[in-house]
Amino acid sequence: MTDTTTAPIPNAPETLAFSYVPRKGLLKLTIVNLLLGLVTLGIYRFWAKTNVRKHIWSCVHINGEPLEYTGRGIEMFLGALFVFLFVILPFGLINAGASFYYGPGSPQALGIQTATFSLLYLIVFIFWGFAVYKSRHYQLTRTNWRGIRGALSGSAITYSLLYFGSMLAKGMSMGWATPVMNTVLAEQITNDMRFGDAAFKFKGRAGPLYPTYALCWFLTGGAIIAAAVFFGITAAAFEGSWLGDAWNHVFNDNGQATSSEYGVVGLIILGVIALILVFSLIIPALWAIYIAKELRTFADYTRFDGAQFKINATAGSVIWLSIVNILILFLTLGIAWPYINQRLVRFVVDRLELQGMIDIDRIAQSKIKMDKRGEGLADAFDVGGL
Amino acid sequence: MAVKAVFFDGEYARDRDVTVEAVGNQLQFQGLEVPLTTWSIAGLHPIDPPTPGQPFRITHDAKPGSRLVLRDAAFIQNLVARNSSLKGGYSSKHLQQVATWTVGGLALAAGVLYVTMSFVPQKVAQILPDGWRNRIGEQVVDSLVDKKKPCHSKDGDAAKSAMVAALAQGNPNLPTFSFEVYDIDILNAFAAPGGKIVFTRKILQEAKGPDEIAGVLAHEIGHVEYRHSEAQLVRMTGLQVVISVLTGSDGGNFSTSVAALAALLRYSREAEREADAYARKTLEQAKVDPMGLKRFFDVLLDLEGRTQKPSDASASKPKETTLDKIGNVFSTHPGTEDRIKEIKPLPDGQIPVKVLSDEQWKALQNICAVPN
Repeated sequence: MTDTTTAPIPNAPETLAFSYVPRKGLLKLTIVNLLLGLVTLGIYRFWAKTNVRKHIWSCVHINGEPLEYTGRGIEMFLGALFVFLFVILPFGLINAGASFYYGPGSPQALGIQTATFSLLYLIVFIFWGFAVYKSRHYQLTRTNWRGIRGALSGSAITYSLLYFGSMLAKGMSMGWATPVMNTVLAEQITNDMRFGDAAFKFKGRAGPLYPTYALCWFLTGGAIIAAAVFFGITAAAFEGSWLGDAWNHVFNDNGQATSSEYGVVGLIILGVIALILVFSLIIPALWAIYIAKELRTFADYTRFDGAQFKINATAGSVIWLSIVNILILFLTLGIAWPYINQRLVRFVVDRLELQGMIDIDRIAQSKIKMDKRGEGLADAFDVGGL
Repeated sequence: MAVKAVFFDGEYARDRDVTVEAVGNQLQFQGLEVPLTTWSIAGLHPIDPPTPGQPFRITHDAKPGSRLVLRDAAFIQNLVARNSSLKGGYSSKHLQQVATWTVGGLALAAGVLYVTMSFVPQKVAQILPDGWRNRIGEQVVDSLVDKKKPCHSKDGDAAKSAMVAALAQGNPNLPTFSFEVYDIDILNAFAAPGGKIVFTRKILQEAKGPDEIAGVLAHEIGHVEYRHSEAQLVRMTGLQVVISVLTGSDGGNFSTSVAALAALLRYSREAEREADAYARKTLEQAKVDPMGLKRFFDVLLDLEGRTQKPSDASASKPKETTLDKIGNVFSTHPGTEDRIKEIKPLPDGQIPVKVLSDEQWKALQNICAVPN
């Protein structure tokens, strides 16, 4: 034993446990954000987002020490301003100039407008991955734990090209490339992920995702065919029946329909709307099976400093999460979005495990540059996320 | 009173135990691996607002990457009492910032609106090349006259020239303009970009004499002189940019819509007054009786009053055209009566010239009677 009073005592590697410890204040934050958003005609939303992130991050505890969000509203505001000035405004000016030079509504002006908007959509597609990557990088560099921040160490351009390619491949393969492409994308971005100077590793094949993908794909196909057949049969039976007569009276013969016929037709329309709603819920619900499987698989493929991630997400829990979130958004007209973000983070944190030992003490601060502006494109494209 | 705390230096993730003490206006802490460090209490910042029962994290101006985690409730309370900014949450400073930004933002928006909607359009309209003005003007006229051709007759054209010549008397600096009559059964006259002045057959027929038409023509020349329609075009183009930028769309295809064309020739009250003043001055210098313009205003006002009566609305009315929608020569704004009052007769002793002979007037009124 050496002199214990001066030599640092190395802490042993430890396991990491995640927990979500709610704090008071989210309701107040939500209300103040809403009011300031109204007063500032929506410009406050960058600060609102920041405040909500600060709150939610501080509720995520790892081994008792919370995460800390260090981003600032002004950074996101400047990011959005940058995109506005250098991406959106030039297109507006070109279009205005065209309709001006060639005269409003002239074929040349319309041609130029069509061309520039096609170009704009192409840019959105090509840079979607760029926006996703930059936004993740921004959030990681603004996330501290034990005084150490995260980062993405790679190139947003590379990821962007990969992302664009993946969209093309998914489209051309009628979706069948999705598991492979998602795995490639996850591998690319996860391998770039750092906490301090420690790296995340992602390794694994897309193969195990395919049985679940095939299941969801064929179930979706089956649901669409079933719906088409159902509507076909109903429509055929409808024609010539008294329901069909009522329909004709209401829509084809002016003023000949009785009030009960109006009632019947109203019910038919309501029924069709209800069916469409149910149908539009069934398809996402089917895909929740795949989403849960992908979450579990990708967690299994991800390691951090010798420890292995696990996420216990089930299809049922994904469906429940989405349905409740949609209901909350609907019922509060979107005002309660901070709670949606909280629920999303909580969903992951409550189910996340890191199996294995990590020598935390030796992790040093990240040397990767922090962007001055944040999430401009992600905000403009509305790529989702928190 | 010294309490235990945990220190993160922002260089490594390692947590280090320290003991903390408040000494005067300063916080002092040290530990096994942490040399004695002094932070001023005034320079402390909370990471999150203090929550009872939970550790309280603070940092310091001098070392923003480091974190000191306090757990002793009494110590935290004491610290917060000495630096109120440690309470976190919304401070009056925060609200003040929001207020400043809001007021500043609104002022900026108002400024931008003024520059883009008023100042810039007028300036740009003045420097627009004639080629552009003419091309746009032709398109505007084409879409408003509904494929009709301008009316011409030998005597009628001569009468038009005579009327323009009469107005040019004493007004050597009239802007370049064209003056065409279209066979349209709507009472209207307008000035499109490029100095293209259009009169309908109906307005000629409703007028009681050439003085009235000369007055209206002088008013439209005013619009040409000040390039009101060009300015309006710039304004609407600017609006299109704003809308397309805000909505991320192509601005609802303003360029093709009828409503847009209608708005194009609906001038502001200010513009109408300018055109009126121009007309008054021009008529006076040409010694044309301004009372003709006044009479015509009255006729119009009368017509308007009649058409607005509900009893008339039920009468079978032809389909409303774009030309209807742009509103007629003077009618677009309230305050028409005030504008009429501004029109004064020629000064005493001045004898008004006869703009057109009776034959010429008749030829002008019937310019569309000859098939072309």
